Amino acid sequence: MGLLGRLQPAAPPALRGGIRRRPRRARGYEIGDTLLGRWARIYIPVLLLLFVTLFPFYWMFITSFKSPSELLDFSRSPLFVIHPTLEHYRHLFTQTHFARWTLNTAIVAVVSTMLSLVCSILAGYSLARLRYRGADAIGWAIFVTYLVPPTLLFLPLAFLIRQLHLFNNLWSLILTYPTFLIPFSTWLLIGYFRSIPRELEESALVDGATRVQTMVRILLPLAVPGILSAGMFAFTLSWNEFLYSLIFMNDTIAKTIPVGVTSELIRGDDFFWGELMAASLLGSLPVALLYSFFVDRFVAGLTAGAVKG
Amino acid sequence: MRAAIQPAEAGRAAYRRPRIPVFEREAPLGYLLLAPALLVLLVFLAYPFVIGLWLSVTDSEAGAIGRFVGLANYRFEFTHDRVFLSSISNTFVYTAVTTVFKLVLGLVMAVLLNQAFPFQRFVRAALLLPFIIPTVLSTLAWRWMFDPTFSVINWVATHSGIARQGVNWFGSPQMAMVSLIVVNVWRGAPFYGISFLAGLQVIPIELYEAARVDGGTRWQQFLHITLPMLRPVLLVVLLLSTILTFADFQLPFVLTNGAPYSSSHVLATWAYAQAIQGGNLGIGAAVSLVLFPVLSVVIAGVLIVLRHE
Amino acid sequence: MADESTQQRKGWTRRRFLKTAGAATAAVAVGSVLGASGGGTAAAAAALPKPRAGARIRLLQWNSFVGVADAELKRQAKEFSDANGCTVEIETVSGDQLQPRTVAAVAAGDGPDIIQMQYGWPHLYTASTVTVTNEVNYLIERLGKVHPVNEAYCKVRGEWRAIPYTQVPNAWSYRTDYFEKAGITSFPKTWDDLIVAGEKVAKATGKPIAQTVGHAYGDSLTMWNPVLWGFGGQEVTKDGRTVTINSPETETAVKWAIRAAQAGIKWFPEWLDPDNNQAYHADRISATLNGASIYIREVIEFKKFDKVTNQAPMPSGPKGNFTLNLVMNHAIMSWSKERETAKAFLFYIMDKPNYSKWMGVAHGYNAGPFEAFNNDPVWKSDPKLLPFRNVVIGPQGKPIGNWPGWPAAPSKRTSQAQTQYVVADMFAKAVATGDARAAINEAEAKMKAIYGAP
Repeated sequence: MGLLGRLQPAAPPALRGGIRRRPRRARGYEIGDTLLGRWARIYIPVLLLLFVTLFPFYWMFITSFKSPSELLDFSRSPLFVIHPTLEHYRHLFTQTHFARWTLNTAIVAVVSTMLSLVCSILAGYSLARLRYRGADAIGWAIFVTYLVPPTLLFLPLAFLIRQLHLFNNLWSLILTYPTFLIPFSTWLLIGYFRSIPRELEESALVDGATRVQTMVRILLPLAVPGILSAGMFAFTLSWNEFLYSLIFMNDTIAKTIPVGVTSELIRGDDFFWGELMAASLLGSLPVALLYSFFVDRFVAGLTAGAVKG
Repeated sequence: MRAAIQPAEAGRAAYRRPRIPVFEREAPLGYLLLAPALLVLLVFLAYPFVIGLWLSVTDSEAGAIGRFVGLANYRFEFTHDRVFLSSISNTFVYTAVTTVFKLVLGLVMAVLLNQAFPFQRFVRAALLLPFIIPTVLSTLAWRWMFDPTFSVINWVATHSGIARQGVNWFGSPQMAMVSLIVVNVWRGAPFYGISFLAGLQVIPIELYEAARVDGGTRWQQFLHITLPMLRPVLLVVLLLSTILTFADFQLPFVLTNGAPYSSSHVLATWAYAQAIQGGNLGIGAAVSLVLFPVLSVVIAGVLIVLRHE
Repeated sequence: MADESTQQRKGWTRRRFLKTAGAATAAVAVGSVLGASGGGTAAAAAALPKPRAGARIRLLQWNSFVGVADAELKRQAKEFSDANGCTVEIETVSGDQLQPRTVAAVAAGDGPDIIQMQYGWPHLYTASTVTVTNEVNYLIERLGKVHPVNEAYCKVRGEWRAIPYTQVPNAWSYRTDYFEKAGITSFPKTWDDLIVAGEKVAKATGKPIAQTVGHAYGDSLTMWNPVLWGFGGQEVTKDGRTVTINSPETETAVKWAIRAAQAGIKWFPEWLDPDNNQAYHADRISATLNGASIYIREVIEFKKFDKVTNQAPMPSGPKGNFTLNLVMNHAIMSWSKERETAKAFLFYIMDKPNYSKWMGVAHGYNAGPFEAFNNDPVWKSDPKLLPFRNVVIGPQGKPIGNWPGWPAAPSKRTSQAQTQYVVADMFAKAVATGDARAAINEAEAKMKAIYGAP
């Protein structure tokens, strides 16, 4: 405690509320500091952005309350619901295993994120702090893995998963998701670690600490925002994944949200739009809640990582 | 003096632990720390990748191991497959245009969100929603919004007098590409925005202060302070996003899957069509991998540039 | 009925045989159902599979449009499971997820015991399927001949690799009120008449005849292959070696499509399978080609246009009347450890009482692949459903219908041409650009690439 308390590092700045232009300073040549200027420069663009970003969600929202006949009735405005119905939500929870799918998705997301974080932290530390041959090449190789599309990989992987007897087992996803979670997390953490001054660890080393101790006791606590960001990003990617889940998880009960929803709610030549939209909204809810709590930390975590790349 | 020494002694005392030699030297420790990440990537990524590579130089079909045929698959694709050639150009157009739009929108977003205004936190979280929702589900929602019969966008456009008749979103090769680009930008711009916002947060206010004192306009400040300081972030975000867009599968697959008449295929969806629907694994693998050498070199180049920042 | 008692006596013999074979209660449930409709030789009886108590099998199929049909199938699975002490799981996925799952199973060498094979998949995944010639012969003896299309798909190099299951017939659903308003009393019988009708209806009502010309899994194939054949065009010769799509007949067909578009019939290149359904329910079009799903949904759910909807079979071209339907069969996979149970289950659901029940619940969405189902009561339940039967069993009582790539036998190459939608794309391009020649040349190039490929 003493050592850490004494050495206040120049840690990456916490998220600022934003640059406040000084309205008091009289500056006649720039439009923008008047109320009208603020509307033109800030409020209207923000509103426009919000509209474009959120309209699809509004659309999903009202579609999820429209009965099938209203969905296909174009004589009225499609922008509103005349006779809202909870039928789709009810159907989602009683006729499909949506609740179970949500649980599966959450379990896979949490565990694969934790697994990826552990691997990325260790690898990130190694690539950011230690000097040895091949570090650059390995850094490049990790990045290049994103070029290998899952549509190529899933067939050989299916064979491998079968050898390991992991079909229908959530572990098949927990072990394969890190393949696309680790590279980005590692990159992010490398940048983040590099932004933390070496002096702290070096003085600890001089004091007799081992490298691992410096990593655990000095670097990691300071890197919490970065780790949090990497974790949230990994969680999101894991939550969204579709192809591997389609192939490896076969039992209806074992599926994850994207797969379960599309396989149950698309029958023959019919899309159950109401249920699909309801599921889309509910399926994003947990991650959205997570983000709303941590959005500031998330952005802060990207800060140094992004800047120092 | 005494006070200054004490903490150091206390520190040393805290560090007195048995020392394991291997954790002291950089190289072995470096590799050791990389091991978990490398293990996961080797088993679940490199190994299937090598198989995929091998598939691309054989004439394998589903269920039938093929013989080695060298570069025949690649040659065949370039000489006989028109859809393949159009899918290459589509992939480049898709990636280039979406990247430009995401870049511009991301910068706008970041500059806007960097200002202070009410409900800023909510806005930041809300703008992340397109990134949070599973791609499969949001793309389905867009498909419903672009629906040939029921497009709400067309309804609004025609009923508000903006357009005389609705747009046929998937009806022509050009419009299909436009639809793909629109949805991709909607989904990806927030990620650019938030990353750039993080980058903006680190730029010292003093620079802007000095510029203002010197009489620079906002636009000049943007060009000469903001953009240069953002360069590392820009490069990394661009690199990552470009790679992911080149390999993008879910969005084009769910939205158009090549419609109309196979004109909007990108490499990933065409590879899938060949391998899974056509049963031609060798050709599918070749299509997946055809850009790999070129892009790997490009990535290496960008990473080297970043290193010298 | 005297018939039944005779059958029961024969079945009694079989039941005894099974008991003495030692398959006691397990086989009785199967045997009593199958045996009750006698006929068959001793050799066929020996082929009767016995489910193993404690076995666990899984069947993978698509989500049928008619949800209650899937429910009925699952009910039958449960009945079979309970009677035999085993477990049969039915897994349904959406239509376009079925193939990646199948390919992954084939690549991994493991997966469901029974997979529903759509179109020509038995020819693609032959090595992963089990030969079921004996079993099919047994079923043929009891249920009659197999429909030639199911046979073409299931039989690979003379061996049965899948057990025939069903067809999803496609017929024209049209609005009788709109057609009447245009002065048309019956649905056109030839393709040229369709153009005349299309023009009249579009003028009189503003609601065009419409169909997909895109990559719709079912609706594109069921439309454009018959059009091509109706004018005498073909993709390839019967021996499957020479590409013949570039012919004067094909040009006539393609020009017909262009003329139709100019006359007011709408061909949508971006429509997928659900789109014509939705457009019909939304009162935007007056006629389209589809499975029974449009009519069923109107009758059961929407009840808006059910009284003014009727069906009609496919129009004919100068070279005859052709149809193509979505066809599905069941293959037992080579990795299955419970082949006998799987076979026994398939026998169970194909047995006449069970299958007929399923057809009835499907309300015309499914037709049977064996002769015994040609006159199933479901076709009498509603006269408007008859056209769905008539596109499977022609007016002469003989089975009709072909498959993508006809007259060549189904094969890897016909499947590839099908999944690349070469024929549909050809029509789509021609209609979009007005240039028939260029579209045909492009289609020819694609076909040559597929058929000339190593």
